[in-house]
Amino acid sequence: MWLLKGVNVLNWFRNIKSNWNTWTLLSILFIALILLPSLSIILQFAAETNENWIHIKEYMLNTYIVNSVILVLFVGLFTAIIGSSLAWIISAYDFPLRGFFQWGLILPLAIPPYIGAYTYHGILNYTGVIQTTLRNQWDITVDQQYFNIMNMPGTIFIFVIFLFPYVFTITKAFLARQSTALIENARILGTSSWRIYFRTVLPIARASIVAGVSLVILEVLNDYGVVKYYGIQTFTTAIFQTWFGLGDLDSAIKLSGTLMLLILGLLILERLLRGRKRFSFTTTKVRLLQPVKLQGRRKWLAFAYCMFIFGIAFIIPFIQLISWAILTYDQSFSVEFLQVIGNTIGVAFVAAAIITIMAVVISNVSRLNRGLFAKVFPRVTILGYSIPGAVIAVGIVSLFIGLDKRIYEWGFTSSYILSTSIVMLIFAYIVRYLAVAYNSVESGFERIGTQFTDASRILGNNVTKSFFKVDVKLIRGAIFGGFILAFIDILKELPLTLILRPFNFETLATNAFNYATNEMIHEAALPSILIVCISAISIYAFHHVLERE
Amino acid sequence: MFVNIKDLSFKYPNSTAHCLESFNLTIQKGDITTILGESGSGKSSLLRLIAGLEMPEQGSISVDDQLMAGPSTFVQPEKRGIGMVFQDYALFPHLKVEDNITFGLHKWSRKEKKQRLNEVIELVNLKGYEKRYPYELSGGQQQRVALARALAPKPKLLLFDEPFSNLDADLQLKIREELRRILKATGVTSIFVTHDQDDAQALADQIVVLRDGKIIDLGTPRDIFGTDCDFSDRIAVKPRVLSKV
Ligand SMILES: Nc1ncnc2c1ncn2[C@@H]1O[C@H](COP(=O)(O)OP(=O)(O)O)[C@@H](O)[C@H]1O
Ligand SMILES: [Mg+2]
Repeated sequence: MWLLKGVNVLNWFRNIKSNWNTWTLLSILFIALILLPSLSIILQFAAETNENWIHIKEYMLNTYIVNSVILVLFVGLFTAIIGSSLAWIISAYDFPLRGFFQWGLILPLAIPPYIGAYTYHGILNYTGVIQTTLRNQWDITVDQQYFNIMNMPGTIFIFVIFLFPYVFTITKAFLARQSTALIENARILGTSSWRIYFRTVLPIARASIVAGVSLVILEVLNDYGVVKYYGIQTFTTAIFQTWFGLGDLDSAIKLSGTLMLLILGLLILERLLRGRKRFSFTTTKVRLLQPVKLQGRRKWLAFAYCMFIFGIAFIIPFIQLISWAILTYDQSFSVEFLQVIGNTIGVAFVAAAIITIMAVVISNVSRLNRGLFAKVFPRVTILGYSIPGAVIAVGIVSLFIGLDKRIYEWGFTSSYILSTSIVMLIFAYIVRYLAVAYNSVESGFERIGTQFTDASRILGNNVTKSFFKVDVKLIRGAIFGGFILAFIDILKELPLTLILRPFNFETLATNAFNYATNEMIHEAALPSILIVCISAISIYAFHHVLERE
Repeated sequence: MFVNIKDLSFKYPNSTAHCLESFNLTIQKGDITTILGESGSGKSSLLRLIAGLEMPEQGSISVDDQLMAGPSTFVQPEKRGIGMVFQDYALFPHLKVEDNITFGLHKWSRKEKKQRLNEVIELVNLKGYEKRYPYELSGGQQQRVALARALAPKPKLLLFDEPFSNLDADLQLKIREELRRILKATGVTSIFVTHDQDDAQALADQIVVLRDGKIIDLGTPRDIFGTDCDFSDRIAVKPRVLSKV
């Protein structure tokens, strides 16, 4: 169309000239980098099939799909029930320790499910604290069958208790801020609590419950540690197996592609389930829901429910880990262990810093430009978070090996340097966790709007100067928050790190997991407890910073 | 003519309707022009176009014989030398009053900055408030800081986007008088956007009445409202535009 009008052609050049600055170019470069691994998988997905793949497709694929679907369904269902009911009780009622549970019930997120998995196995198995006590104190020997957690129900249990906080926090934020009028109305009409929960809360909070559950599901599909340890065959374990067991990257790519399709379907389903009204954290003035003081039996029931969940999801595994850590402290603590801590913090710091810078650039460009392009393009950053670590790893390895081959063929190097270096791991962290920092930075930018930038530009500062003199100062908190969130996620990360780390490079997560898989559960406690404590402190700090804001 | 807007058209990328269409306007040096129109008539968009915060689809804008926006030209807002007072002031919350005011004076020496700060502080009557933060000021004081900040770099053109809409009526009346005094004292050419006909009348040398992105009336306050300031008959003529007091 614009070809027809001379003026429009001129306009078009003018627009490009004035909109395409360093910021835009950087942003496009970053997004392209994020897309590369996925593209690599998509391009190779349709490549020729080999015998392995035919075998997998014929005999195994069904199992992977069925197991993954069972996990997703049950974990989704139970986290929805537990998360939303806790959120409702905490938002609507006042009872003993309510203030503590507000953030205490987020703490289970500090325990990565794979750590929870071997901790619970350690508690319940023959030499664990429960069975030993029964034997030594009362001389009772139990049927092992009732204490075996390493099966499908056990796996579901682990995921549910350590992931429900996703549903809890999102639903609670929604109920506390956005539902006041509706719930007060229901109360005035004298509706009973149960009725309010089923008739009012569940329907209006549907979007946020679905949003929380979809995060849970992405975590479940991303997981490698739990399913590997409990021996459940899923897509991620299959990807690891075909790749490392059979050395067959092509089939791993095919499995990854299939899993990506599955997730795409899930994300579409999520859109439909959320309904038309998109869930959002509004920051405008809101009336907070006033909790009703519970009396008598009901007061203690509410308390007991919260305490029970908090107990099994945090206190029990936490205390167990501490006691094991004390037990093995002498052997586990060494110079090598300090090296592991250094590795972990170093690599997480570098990756989180790069992620934060990229998030700031991309969201600043998206915010300052109009039009579909600027708005839709950054959504790509979310992609990494939806794609399981094992899949990202497959994409990145195939990409880096391809690059290395080129570099090698051109004679720049005498060996494969990229695919054996830490660069690959850091790149993978960036792809996967960019979204975490991006969301935080974006919400910071949303809060301040563009008027301060406009004012600064009119006063003679270009976009970059305005950014450093004004914008950064105003969203410092959001930028720092984004950094911390990414840092914590990287600290806990397992599947990517297992696959992509350079030879002999250990982090706390791989260290703990290796001990656990080698039947040295007690020795795994020290690195585990470090991960848990650092995460828990950040959650605490975060909650209190947010509360103040 | 000092400001020359020719055949200006504009629409936001995410909407289909034009927000301004074939808009023409000229302004003489030193004049105060008021754009009067209901909310949604395109006043803010016009100011943003003049300031360089939006890019026109068609037409041209020139200020002081310099082409700011045209078919193959677009001068970035930071290069235009135009000042603006925003509807909610947009004072930088992390800077003290004095730093807000001198924010636009990058290339000035320290001494010059200090001197200019004192001048404009005096002009807007804010002596003694230099060390405060914006949130420690009343609405009227914030408004003056915003004016001082916009005046400090000596812009060739000053834009006001409904700067009184957040003030209560008493204050509005007082500040209106003062604003006209200040503007005339500095001799700066200004465009003042409002939906309030009293504002328009009290301030303007020239009034432009805008509706749905088009000029429907233009002239001196006297032309628009009649000789004896009794505009009840005009209200009958344009009830939609002038009913929002
Ligand atoms: N950022 C935006 N995106 C899309 N449409 C907008 C935007 N800002 C304003 N508009 C539309 O442009 C028209 C003019 O708005 P505006 O210039 O703000 O009017 P006024 O300042 O007179 O109230 C309105 O119809 C408004 O809805
Ligand atoms: Mg406006």
